[in-house]
Amino acid sequence: MRSSTIARPPAPKAPKPVRVQAEHGKPVAVAGVRVEEVREDWIVEDRWWTEQPIHRHYWELITVAGRNVVVFHDKLIDRWFSQTA
Amino acid sequence: MIVCVHLPRFELVAAAGGPEALTGRALAIAPSGSGPARVGEVSGTAQAQGVQQGMMLGEALARCPALELVPGDPVQVAHSWERTACALEGIGAQLELARPGLAYFDGDGLRGLHGGDDGLILATRKALARPARIGVAPSRFCSLAAALETRTRRVRRVGERDVRRYLAVQPVGILSYRSQTAALVASLQQLGLGKLGALVKLTAAEIADRFGEPGTTARRLALGHDTPLRVRRVEDRLAESMQLEEANSGLLLERTLGVLVDRLLARPQRHGRTVRAITLSARLAERGTWRESVVFREALSDPRRIRLALSQRLQLLPAPATALQLAVEEFGPAGGDQGGLLDGEHTARLARLQDAVGQVRTLAGPHAALRALVVDPRSRVPERKVLYAPWQQ
Repeated sequence: MRSSTIARPPAPKAPKPVRVQAEHGKPVAVAGVRVEEVREDWIVEDRWWTEQPIHRHYWELITVAGRNVVVFHDKLIDRWFSQTA
Repeated sequence: MIVCVHLPRFELVAAAGGPEALTGRALAIAPSGSGPARVGEVSGTAQAQGVQQGMMLGEALARCPALELVPGDPVQVAHSWERTACALEGIGAQLELARPGLAYFDGDGLRGLHGGDDGLILATRKALARPARIGVAPSRFCSLAAALETRTRRVRRVGERDVRRYLAVQPVGILSYRSQTAALVASLQQLGLGKLGALVKLTAAEIADRFGEPGTTARRLALGHDTPLRVRRVEDRLAESMQLEEANSGLLLERTLGVLVDRLLARPQRHGRTVRAITLSARLAERGTWRESVVFREALSDPRRIRLALSQRLQLLPAPATALQLAVEEFGPAGGDQGGLLDGEHTARLARLQDAVGQVRTLAGPHAALRALVVDPRSRVPERKVLYAPWQQ
């Protein structure tokens, strides 16, 4: 019996939408879990010469649960995503 | 009988430019770039002021503010040691080279050649052409103890019957000359076991229980038992070097390395043999030299694989180089591994894999098996680092 066809998977490190609570642009909770510490933040501006420019503010965070997560705020569409670096 | 030849401060003498440079000066070999800052060999004057080899640099300078640091010169040390070894081999000695300045050989077969024990010692001294400490004893470890105890220009002989008695009064510090037992010395001294005799008084079981394999090795050595000499094979010395117009590092130096590898493999003296170990050395733009011995996982004659293995070590260079040299340390068998004409196992495995991929695709569609392709590993945008590409059937 033929099983259902698998759709093409997204890129291995593709960003996933995530719910982030921020205060003055700085994340304080990720998916409802409070942020314990901000390890690092950096800005990526790339492909500004194309029709799909990238303008992101990345945050590397430690949550109170002890997890290390990387999220970014897409400045162009004003949404948050999580991503493995 | 094993003859031990010990040339004290061999590395310092080579780095300082000769034994006369040590006279009346507090010298020490400067710490190397990697690892903790510890001084290397020290001169007699520095030693008299409390500086010891392996001491932290800060402590050494605190004990002897006038201490002069000499950059290590591993290339000169290697050349000088090779000359000394060749000179000893010239009198018929089959050498085990423990480290620069310390060598052993079996003197039994050479006595007749040089007219007895005294003749052999005389021939050894003539070959060395510099003051050396010589110890003669039935085992390697005992001959080392004898050489360390005796004064320069003297010989200490230990007879077969006296070995245990002689070793019993020797300090446990001698164990630091053997890599297997070097780590034990500090523990033994802390436990109050200052002499080898105290170590022998403990039973083999007690020592094995407390110190494991290194402990039993140390006890065996202290009882006068030792492994046979591991003599080096006398082979052609093949080396290629290149002077660089200006100090180079990184990619440019890798290109130079590639040229040297090709030249070395093209030498007719290689006689088609593979290479098992290579010494990579460089003269640095700043003062000093650098030397690294590279032993390949298997004997090689493929220039690409040799280049790949050596270029990894090139990254360790502490400064740009003005000259690069490659020397074969040991050859492997001629030809190397000859694979089968038809690699049946590999082909069968690949066929099974292709079959499995085909079955998965048939069941779940063309995207069920994809190849992860690293396209830009340094991209600042993570999703651009790796992409999925179709699996080629």
